[in-house]
Amino acid sequence: MKHGFRESWVIVALFLAPALLGLALFRLAPILIALIGGFTGTRLTGETVWVGLQNYERLVSDPAFWNSVRITLLFNVIINPLQILIALGLALLVLRPTPLVPLFRAAYMAPMTVSLSLTSILWAILLEPTMGPVNGLLRALGVPPQPFWRSEEQALATLIAVASWKGVGYWMVFLLAGLLLVPKELHEAAMIDGASAWQRFRWVTLPLMRRPLAFVLVADTAANFLLFAPMYLITQGGPNGATALLMFEAYQAAFTYLDRGRALALSTVILLVIGLLAVLELRLLRERES
Amino acid sequence: MTISDLRRLFVAFVRYLALVLVATVLLLPIYWLVVASFRPAADIFATSSSVSLATLVPERLTLDHWREAWSGELPRAVANSLFVALTTAGLGVLINSLAGFAFAVFEFPLKRVIFAFVLATFMMPFESIVIPLYMLVRGLALTDTYAALILPEVASGLVIFLFRQFFAAVPKELYEAARIDGASWLQIWWRLTLPLSGPTIATASLMLFVHQWDAFFWPLVAAPSQERIVVQVAIARNVTLEVANWGALFASASTAILLALIPFLLLQRFYLRTITAASER
Amino acid sequence: MTRLSRRAALAGAAAASALLPARPLMAQPKTTLKVIWMGWPEGQVKPLMDSFRRAQPEVELQVETIPFVQIFQTLEVRLGARTPDPDIFICDSPLTASYAARGHLMDLTPYLDAGRFTKSAIEAASWQGKIYSAPFGSSCPVLFYNKKLLREAGIAFPPADVAKRWTWEELVEAAKKLTDPAKNQWGFSFEQQERPYMLLPLAQSLGGVALSPDGFKASGYIDSPPFIEAYSFMQKLYTEWKVSPPGLFDPNLPVEQFGNGKIALLVAGTFNEATIKNKYPDIEFGVAPYPRFAKGKAVTPTGAWHIGVNPRTRHPKEALAFIEHFMSHELQVLWFELRPYPPVLKSVWEKEAKRFETDMWKIVRFELEHTAVPRPATPGFREYEDILRTALRDITTGADVAKTLSAAAQRIDRELEKYKA
Repeated sequence: MKHGFRESWVIVALFLAPALLGLALFRLAPILIALIGGFTGTRLTGETVWVGLQNYERLVSDPAFWNSVRITLLFNVIINPLQILIALGLALLVLRPTPLVPLFRAAYMAPMTVSLSLTSILWAILLEPTMGPVNGLLRALGVPPQPFWRSEEQALATLIAVASWKGVGYWMVFLLAGLLLVPKELHEAAMIDGASAWQRFRWVTLPLMRRPLAFVLVADTAANFLLFAPMYLITQGGPNGATALLMFEAYQAAFTYLDRGRALALSTVILLVIGLLAVLELRLLRERES
Repeated sequence: MTISDLRRLFVAFVRYLALVLVATVLLLPIYWLVVASFRPAADIFATSSSVSLATLVPERLTLDHWREAWSGELPRAVANSLFVALTTAGLGVLINSLAGFAFAVFEFPLKRVIFAFVLATFMMPFESIVIPLYMLVRGLALTDTYAALILPEVASGLVIFLFRQFFAAVPKELYEAARIDGASWLQIWWRLTLPLSGPTIATASLMLFVHQWDAFFWPLVAAPSQERIVVQVAIARNVTLEVANWGALFASASTAILLALIPFLLLQRFYLRTITAASER
Repeated sequence: MTRLSRRAALAGAAAASALLPARPLMAQPKTTLKVIWMGWPEGQVKPLMDSFRRAQPEVELQVETIPFVQIFQTLEVRLGARTPDPDIFICDSPLTASYAARGHLMDLTPYLDAGRFTKSAIEAASWQGKIYSAPFGSSCPVLFYNKKLLREAGIAFPPADVAKRWTWEELVEAAKKLTDPAKNQWGFSFEQQERPYMLLPLAQSLGGVALSPDGFKASGYIDSPPFIEAYSFMQKLYTEWKVSPPGLFDPNLPVEQFGNGKIALLVAGTFNEATIKNKYPDIEFGVAPYPRFAKGKAVTPTGAWHIGVNPRTRHPKEALAFIEHFMSHELQVLWFELRPYPPVLKSVWEKEAKRFETDMWKIVRFELEHTAVPRPATPGFREYEDILRTALRDITTGADVAKTLSAAAQRIDRELEKYKA
């Protein structure tokens, strides 16, 4: 990366201050309180007591936690590359504004206007084992009805599919914006040099897409780690723990098991894992020093 | 017709076929939902388990659910959500692009550390910071105000990150030239970087807009009074443990979906303009 | 002497002003009560609140109606902050002990006349011998049946007479005849296929007890033989006899399927009578009591929404006036008209007797007096309910009943540990 401009701190502070003040107040301060909260417990009467590492010790000795970690990692290892590949494919598909393409672009973004809880309600109905239209369609085609959300084997795959239904259009938007910023002249020059479409994509587009891709990868990872509405509204983490993602466990700990210490310890783990993955992803896509 | 013409035709055919297939998968569920909002209550699930033409094309139509949804608190909720989402998007683009610009263009001490903190802000589960955030907003005497809905969401680590990544597409040489011409950094940000970043600004405002349009839990905690009701809350009111008013649920949900599509359609023009502007240069 | 008389005079004046109706004198700053209420339709909330506003014009009400899916979470955040806000909140009756144990409910024992309420309502409002929530509604599931489908299958209607109620065994035999996989038609479904509320009575009918009397131990209770037997029976509805649609966990969906003639027998709450009548006017249906096992006794679930007062409220006098008003006969009649939950006041049952002459209300009245058992009173009810609910879910999809229940019992014991101190 080329070095940026060195300016007096007054200028830098002027640019940073409005956003950083907001972040410090409304995000970092509460996060700090939550991080500290991971080392505390709450008495029935509401007093907070220091318990040191006890919340974390309990977590690591709890098989349910490790099951969650395993499922969360599995979920993310599949869904993040899958969503980004599809999103990139869609972005390339709608890049050239030939007739009707703007309409398709808008159509692909439509699922992102459906809120997460509504997405969950809608797909719970569509995929109901006995009354859902998807199974109605399968039945009409002679395929036996599938349990989808209701089977241990299919629940996680169903979750990945539904989250991708909502997600791919969203991530497409960013990748499309990135592609639009690739100067046309570079493509034209490569074409004159006789490069094939794949070569142009690989050697012209992709290198310039590193930064947008890095953004989408990190943002997508965070979004998928923090997803929990479908579990809350449809699967309750089941069947038999098949969709017990960490975020849902944290949510349950906070609002059902009323165990604030455990909830905050789990949240801290989530923050650390996303942070770690983000560092790896940014490394992976960092522009090589030229 | 030459072979290359044929080939081009074939590629176009495959491309449009793919476009249509993807659109079908993505739109059919929404179509089902919107159509369901026009079916009489008894018909909504009547055709769901045995698929036929009637599953897609309703036999009877009614506006009852839409009338019911719109005669309640939905108009107010839509107005509130529009106000909150547009204000957040407007303010958010300004301040987050300033910060993103600084991270993309300047070198300064502790830059990486500060940036790491910015990234961390969108990696923490919101549900685990909601109690301290609520107490903070209460302490600032902001509960039940529009400010409680808007202020905590304006500064966004994710949007700063977006701007930082995309501002890098603007060549450094342009900045150097502008500096030599005597432009201040604020002028450069406003007159050079932002105008060259149409798609970036469009996507950033979309993110902020959609985030607020989908907001559900925080509005209930921070500003739950009738006057401040937001659109997702109005939608959810149609379902209780005992009774689900599916018709009104789907009608109000359709309203929310269709209204939120408008910014996406506007975005299209943004995209087209940028491309022509870039190609004219 | 002068001092004493002065004090007496002051006391007298205070007493007099307490008796007098609110003086519309000077523009006293109005007291504002913040109320968190269930997200029922506005038409079922505003008339109640307006009634209080008319009775107490000097008190301002700020009502926040929270959608059902987020009401518990919102209350956790607002109460968890331990501020005087809200003053009043709607309280799911089985959570009374949970809120009370954590200091979120004012003891209402001195202010409520327990004798005015039905026995089951007071039980559902009590924790450790004190009344912590004001009963505002009750509940009772009944058996709805589709007359046309039963007639076609040649099955006699289940009797509405509580003494002759169907047994589960009879129900299954009928359900088998009513199930037709080719038409995607099912013989029977619970409205709530996974919720302990609707399913605990199965085991209680066989003599099972839901939780230890002190409210802290589930092992030896939910994994006891009656529970294993009852839930093995329930499992067979899905896996062996295949008379119930599996995985229909959203309680609003079985009702739609009943309305569409896809489910013939439905055990569901009384409020569904109005839902089905309004949405599906063509469906001809009857009502019978919640079944029992042949060798067991009749048990029904109960409990519903209550009202709680935040003990940190800065306006206890006004908050108690709110409770008093909402517990009045007139307001509870109005509430019944708006949303017909089974009433909790004896006087409503007695004075409004003509409203309750239908089969359904006769059944409900009997159940509330004789067979209703509230959910177990434990501060850990949320944990208890969630763990048991997950276990019941897994059982419907074929999990080993005994193993699933004993694992659930152990988990519940572990979670309840924190309330013992």
